[in-house]
Amino acid sequence: MGHAKGMSEIQFGVHVRPEFVAEVLTVPDNVNIERRLSRFERISNINAVRKLTILLGLIVSWEAYTQIANVEVLLFPSFSISIQALWETMLTGEIFEKIWASLSILVVGYVAGLLLSAVLLIVAVTSRIGGDILSTLTAMFQPLPAISLLPLAMLWFGLGAPSLIFVTIHSVLWAVTLSTLTGFMAVSETLRMVGRNYDLRGIFYILKILVPAAFSSILTGLKIGWAFAWRTLIGAELVFGALSGKGGLGWMIYENGDNLDTEYVFAALFTVILVGLLVENVIFRNIEMKTVNKWGMQH
Amino acid sequence: MAEGGAAGPAAAVIIRSEYEHKSLGKAGTGEVQRRLSWFERLSNIDSVRKYTVLVGVLVIWELYTIVADVPPLMFSSFSDTAAALVNALVNEGLLQNIWNSISTLFKGYVIGIGIAVVLVTLGVTTRFGTDLLTTLTAMLNPLPAIALLPMAMIWFGLGEAAIIFTLLHSIIWPVALNMHTGFLGVSETQRMVGRNYGLKNIRYIVKILMPAAFPSILTGLRIGWAYAWRTLIAAELVFGGQVMDTSGQMGAKGSNAGGLGWIIFQNQMDLRIPYVFAGLLSVILVGVLIENLIFRTIEERTVRKWGMQKA
Repeated sequence: MGHAKGMSEIQFGVHVRPEFVAEVLTVPDNVNIERRLSRFERISNINAVRKLTILLGLIVSWEAYTQIANVEVLLFPSFSISIQALWETMLTGEIFEKIWASLSILVVGYVAGLLLSAVLLIVAVTSRIGGDILSTLTAMFQPLPAISLLPLAMLWFGLGAPSLIFVTIHSVLWAVTLSTLTGFMAVSETLRMVGRNYDLRGIFYILKILVPAAFSSILTGLKIGWAFAWRTLIGAELVFGALSGKGGLGWMIYENGDNLDTEYVFAALFTVILVGLLVENVIFRNIEMKTVNKWGMQH
Repeated sequence: MAEGGAAGPAAAVIIRSEYEHKSLGKAGTGEVQRRLSWFERLSNIDSVRKYTVLVGVLVIWELYTIVADVPPLMFSSFSDTAAALVNALVNEGLLQNIWNSISTLFKGYVIGIGIAVVLVTLGVTTRFGTDLLTTLTAMLNPLPAIALLPMAMIWFGLGEAAIIFTLLHSIIWPVALNMHTGFLGVSETQRMVGRNYGLKNIRYIVKILMPAAFPSILTGLRIGWAYAWRTLIAAELVFGGQVMDTSGQMGAKGSNAGGLGWIIFQNQMDLRIPYVFAGLLSVILVGVLIENLIFRTIEERTVRKWGMQKA
């Protein structure tokens, strides 16, 4: 090897630069090696400041647009009018009633959906035929938007809370079941063997081995289920609005849209966003931090 | 340790005397290998089991309606539903309604993805864009698109434009959110490869970020499709209610305007329950087809083939 390398060096000729000693090595003048960032740069490096500025900018341009273009309030209310409407409904307590009406149905449907899903999953995990039934049912019902069952639900349960709960259950059940089942299938054989080694069976095997190991997909399922349920519920209340009845935030949006009280529509939209943010960023974020993040399953 | 080592040779080693086992007769273990029975072999095939379950569900459905004598106005039997589906397909132009839904969905989907891509491109190339994108998605993603329908109807009138506007909202945010998260997760090594090639802006996004973040982009597309499909059906149902009190052109009686949601709503209003079930069946079929044909194929040709995701 060394020989061959020597040969090629001779063949191609290696240029060696003559050595030299640098006599004077001084720091050049007029150069800022280190400089403090300016005040503006320092402030704009804070994430929260930038985001709040953007939020403010959006609000200001919304307000300015409605003022300058002189848009009809009926078509597009300005930010200030919408906030005023929101404040008004808060003072009368109307908005809290609507939120409660929506959330109480959502919680009942969500919990019932989770319980049903748990029962189905227990059957599916413990027997092969159960697994087959569950995967067939999930494949069938998962692509069916829950809201499309609303006309039938209204026929079966009448106009009222039971119909809404029925469609909410349907929207939660399949999303959660599918995600959990996928999670269970992906549990590593090592963990399963640990469980079998401890002679865990049936419900104990599920609770002690499968659920903790698959928790990040279960959580994903819970989140998707919540998102579907929230969307379905608002949609269902809108459809109800079109027929009759009363109820939560969706109905408030529909009713005010129909009466062209658009500032109240926007107030209801704000509320829907706030409730969504609260559930996602407070409840689910907390669960995530206390479980999968703490256990090091997800960063 | 040293003590043990010293004690080793001194300790007596017991060697068992060798012996031969004279009579090792046939062990009474029974059959060592046995062919599975017909039934077992058949039931080991996944698809056979699943189709059996499906047929079982249908039979139970049919039997339930016959045995429990359910009034057909409340719950139609499978045979009635199947007959209604065939009749609707052949005589009532159900295919046209299905096509109406799909074409509306497709328009919204394509425009929505276009807007999402522009937003994310902005978000990746400038810091201001990132901030704008994250603020907008955080704010608007939790808002169910259908809640915007009443406003959309005021702005765009009763018609396709209002539905497409709502669809856009249901597609843009999940797609943008997932795409952006995917881009943020691209490894520094791959980014450096891109910079090494001198790729900038669009070419950097298309050649480096998109392939590397494809699994999350695909997830975003799937969630976007799921939300859009749900929103579309819901929007058509709401329009169904609107047609009662205004004379909108959506789904005027007898015509084949309007999509699947409208068909379900209209048939329920007329108490043609088998046709409601037929509508639901076609919603399921369209969903299964799009999921299994389109998304499965994309998945197999990209992320599975590239080894980014296992089966």
